[in-house]
Amino acid sequence: MTNVTVKKLIEKIEGEAELDFTFNQGEIEDVKINFGFYRGIEEILRGHDAWDALVITPRVCGICNHAHLLAAVRAIENGYENAGLKINLTSKAKAIREFTLSCELIQNHIKWLYMTILPQLEKFVGAVSEENYAIKATYLASTITKALAVFSGQWPHASYAIPGGVTCDPTHLDVMQAQSLVDESIKFFEEVVIGLSIDDYLAMESVSCFSQIHGDFGKLLRLMLVNDMGDKGYSHDRFIVFGDSILAKPGRSIITNVTNVDISCVQENEQKGTVSKAVTYRDKFYEVGPLARGMVAKTPIVRSLHKRFKDSVLSRVFARIHEVALLLDYSKGLLNKLQLDEPSCVLNADVRLNDFDGVGTVEAARGSLIHKTTVRDGVITNYDIITPTQWNLGNSTKAEQGIAIEAMTGSLSIEEATFIFRTFDVCSVCTTQ
Amino acid sequence: MTCQNKPKLLWLQSITCNGNTHSFLNHPELFFILSHFEVVHHPVLDSSYSMEDVIGGIVPCDVLIIEGSFQEEGFLKSGVEVSSIIKHYANKAKHIISVGTCATFGGIFKQKNPEAISGFCFNGEEKTERYSTHASKLISLPGCPMHPRWLSYVLLMISGKKDIPIDNLHRPVELYGYTVHTGCTRNEYFEWKIDTKTFGLKEGCLFYETGCRGPYTRGSCNKILWNDINSKTRAGTPCFGCTEPNYPQESFFRTKTNMGIPDKVPLGVSKRAYLTLTGVAKSFTIQRFTERLMEYDK
Repeated sequence: MTNVTVKKLIEKIEGEAELDFTFNQGEIEDVKINFGFYRGIEEILRGHDAWDALVITPRVCGICNHAHLLAAVRAIENGYENAGLKINLTSKAKAIREFTLSCELIQNHIKWLYMTILPQLEKFVGAVSEENYAIKATYLASTITKALAVFSGQWPHASYAIPGGVTCDPTHLDVMQAQSLVDESIKFFEEVVIGLSIDDYLAMESVSCFSQIHGDFGKLLRLMLVNDMGDKGYSHDRFIVFGDSILAKPGRSIITNVTNVDISCVQENEQKGTVSKAVTYRDKFYEVGPLARGMVAKTPIVRSLHKRFKDSVLSRVFARIHEVALLLDYSKGLLNKLQLDEPSCVLNADVRLNDFDGVGTVEAARGSLIHKTTVRDGVITNYDIITPTQWNLGNSTKAEQGIAIEAMTGSLSIEEATFIFRTFDVCSVCTTQ
Repeated sequence: MTCQNKPKLLWLQSITCNGNTHSFLNHPELFFILSHFEVVHHPVLDSSYSMEDVIGGIVPCDVLIIEGSFQEEGFLKSGVEVSSIIKHYANKAKHIISVGTCATFGGIFKQKNPEAISGFCFNGEEKTERYSTHASKLISLPGCPMHPRWLSYVLLMISGKKDIPIDNLHRPVELYGYTVHTGCTRNEYFEWKIDTKTFGLKEGCLFYETGCRGPYTRGSCNKILWNDINSKTRAGTPCFGCTEPNYPQESFFRTKTNMGIPDKVPLGVSKRAYLTLTGVAKSFTIQRFTERLMEYDK
């Protein structure tokens, strides 16, 4: 037998993972992804008051806690509606929730760009610079999470979204503070990340405009192009989105054909050797995350990129950074339109339903997040959380290889494969809950 | 740049959501604070030693930061029990800082298996068997997550070789001598016993009906603001008591009451005295507290 298996501990990915690489004649033929520890949030929730999910589920993850809060509140609201209590959120509450979620995605993507992708790519191709990328990451991330905290009270781990709206009651002074923080973030993004104005950037619709991108993103794109990252990391070219957001409507894209999704076709499967369950849609693996959102939404520049580079490392990385521009622009617009005279919350605090089943979906930084809650006599009897990374990082089944595994297969080195692995924005805490 | 004289800082994660890591990354003076140390290992920031080095036990360590709750057996990294890695470095370190409620008391993840999971030196308020070995160098920074400025205070006190006054649970009194209630913008409503009654309003106190634990929770969230600008209660969210040894409890958004009186009264106040005070305060009808602070034009 020529097969050789090498174990590798991968760190600085929101926790750690252990990867077993199987080489066949110098080429990676298979990978097993092992996440070590299950924390049992779903079990912890059982027996708790239905609303306690708003406090406990954000603790799934320190970096996308807000997405969990929103999935939890949507699951309760959906449950209330299923039980006959229709909730019409005000445009103000909706806009505030979208704003804070956008801020969370921005901080995630920027930390990933500067603390994971740029340094790891430089290390892999032997072009290490002396720059302190982390200082850039934390500057923009802390600025935009300040804007988030204007409404949520704090980040991480706020629980300000509640059934019927939000707990905050912002004034013009608060909105001005958030606006100036978004402007500061946009300025940094323009000057440091892309080296051109955000309007000029967003006007680009094709790969032929890439040369106009400067800054650190331009540097990253060129480094990826000269190292053939447009030809590496292909997966199954199947994408899925469940959350309804500015970035994409729910749908799935197979190559470029987009169709509807039905959440009842989602299945979780336990897997040997890892505490993470894999997730499939009609028994097939689908990629979730920014590239999926770009493909399902038919975002022109993502489609143009996909036409040339398919679902490669380059397309995957580009789609994530591209979302920062979309979200900064969108966040600014949301604040400008905020109707402060509307109620923040349309349900009274004492309105509680005791029996309901609800589903909440959110587009989190890494892709579609699903919460399902079953409540009887006011307490949670069952809670299911399906995280984005479960879609992307599931191990192979007999029928086909997992998304990230397919992308790593064919690599000639562990260094290259682990870089490809990191392009999925790996989060072990989310994957294992 | 020479690092030889700087204390060596090792940040280790046990059973965690990484919330304390990301909380600290939000500190506006992060790199100034870290410049006083040599960061030998950190879960996210670039550092001089890898996780494999850490597991191998070869990393120097003066200040050990522990994030996440603790389990003696069954939580492994690269086949090695995390408990043994932490104990190895806890023995080496001159200072141990438990960041977050998980590392300090057990926190949310303790609920998964209360028999086996705890904080490093405390299990709730009880001392663990590790307490006697490590207590002399322990600082507790509970919070879910801990506030970034709480950690910077401890780190800069250590680098400045200053003594940190602590309470019986090893919490710095400068940070936990207050309650979360201190500095809350709703204090006037608290004084006159006027509850907000519903969410989404800037008026009213969240203590009487909507679950706020601020008056009996130790922490400086309303004095040292989150993200330098806000707090949960200022944003209309009740305090969930996340710094306390018994966190998390049940029904976060509801106040448990007995005959209309909150079951738990402000820290250090007797129930009888509190009832008297409430009766007097409630006898006032203060017009401005029955109205909205401001209305916006439609």
